[in-house]
Amino acid sequence: MIEFHKVSKQYPTGQLALYNVNLSMKAGEMAFLTGHSGAGKSTLLKLIAMLERPSSGDIIINGNEVNKLKNKHIPPFRRQIGMIFQNHHLLMDRTIFENVALPLKITGLHHRDIRRRVHAALDKVSLLNKQKENPMMLSAGEQQRVGIARAVVNKPTIILADEPTGNLDPELAQDIMYTFRQFNELGATVLIASHDHGLIEHMQARTIVLQKINA
Amino acid sequence: MTETNKAHKTNQRTTQKSFFSSWWAHVRAALGFSLKRLWFNPLSTWITLAAIAIALSLPTGLHLFLKNLQTLTNDQRQIPTVSLFLKESITEEQAKDRAALLTELNEIDKVVFESKENAFQKMRNLTGFGEMITSFDENPLPHVLVVTPNLVLTGEMDGMINNLTKKLKSYPEVDSVQADVEWVKRLGDIIMFAQRMGIVVWVLLLLTVLLVVGNTIRLDIENRKEEIDVTRFIGATRAYIRRPFIFGGLWYGLFGGIISLVIVHFSLLFLIDPIKKLSASYGSHFTLTGLDFTMTFYILLISSLLGVIGAWVAVGRHLRKNEVVL
Repeated sequence: MIEFHKVSKQYPTGQLALYNVNLSMKAGEMAFLTGHSGAGKSTLLKLIAMLERPSSGDIIINGNEVNKLKNKHIPPFRRQIGMIFQNHHLLMDRTIFENVALPLKITGLHHRDIRRRVHAALDKVSLLNKQKENPMMLSAGEQQRVGIARAVVNKPTIILADEPTGNLDPELAQDIMYTFRQFNELGATVLIASHDHGLIEHMQARTIVLQKINA
Repeated sequence: MTETNKAHKTNQRTTQKSFFSSWWAHVRAALGFSLKRLWFNPLSTWITLAAIAIALSLPTGLHLFLKNLQTLTNDQRQIPTVSLFLKESITEEQAKDRAALLTELNEIDKVVFESKENAFQKMRNLTGFGEMITSFDENPLPHVLVVTPNLVLTGEMDGMINNLTKKLKSYPEVDSVQADVEWVKRLGDIIMFAQRMGIVVWVLLLLTVLLVVGNTIRLDIENRKEEIDVTRFIGATRAYIRRPFIFGGLWYGLFGGIISLVIVHFSLLFLIDPIKKLSASYGSHFTLTGLDFTMTFYILLISSLLGVIGAWVAVGRHLRKNEVVL
């Protein structure tokens, strides 16, 4: 469950990214977040993942008031969330297996379990046969799928995606969206920031629109 | 005990065990990873290690120099002697008796009796004194007891010699006492000055090691900024992120320390021969001594600690200053 109560975010530079946002998503729901560039889509996702703290208002994730979380409680909180970015942020000096295994290594899982779960995640995004390769050897779509595998390998309750299909052709973009749909059907709450209206209409999911603030 | 309590205790034990095994897995991974980073960046690793080793070998060499200098001054022949000029009426036998009694004192290491005949003969053989001595009708010299105090070169030496001189002067057989302590005092002062210099050099060069490691780790952090951000956003704790850098600092310090010991050791081997020859020309058997086990251990401990502290400061500063930027 994700809830925003009158959440605003102003950066130290004075830029107001979000103002008085109210939002509610049920557990297991899938939704799209749209809006013009600069409307605050990325900021909203970062607030959910606690990559940013709100300037005012309350954010409640899975029953916890996360804006009041102490710094030491943020890492375990982030492990409940899988986040995917447009430029996927893969580590290019590691293999695909190592990239996907990273969230599990952080939790200190035994290497046998790590192998099993990484194989399962890579299998879900159809990249199991490329686990030993370097991300640089993959196409943009495949790299994005590695990013998705890394985000879901820890079985997060919430999956956030920031323009995950921005660099992909329409066919690949649709494939990626179906992958998200599969994870949603398995019980994860999925929130995808996108401005691809055709794709959003095709997926038939709730759409949350952010209006740009005219400061 | 109820079943619930038993289950709770078992769970607690399992949690503690899994926490420890997960922590240990992280530590092992970070140790291996940090070593790999050093191995796969040989140029920057060797430059850093060389800078640390040179910075450490200078104060270590200075320490060794001072240690050897102290050994040299602790040499028994170098300890100041106190000459007791006995009264003219004292016979050779009485002088020898007094010498025997003095040897039993704790503060005296040994006493050498120098008869007036012997001294007269020695003086006659000295260039320039021969003719003057023969003009005397009889031997004007007294019997002399040359006393070697039982002491080492310490800051308290001056007081000890003064007390001993006073005590020796009080014996009825003694006419006058002469203690030659000036040069030893001067040498003690030089050693004290060198020791202070050593401390200054140690502090400055240890600070250099700290800065070298800190800067190397800072550059490493800059190179791996994206990796740090990624691991942070997927839920890594500060300790998890910090660990490989801390171990990196530890390796730099430890290996730098080992290389500095090798440098000092080889420099010592290089110097041993000329020093031996030089000391032999002064009739001494003095040879250079190297670092003992304790000092070797301390140098490695200090260098490793400096590496850890340098890395800790660099990575701590980065983590405090920078939030995740993705």
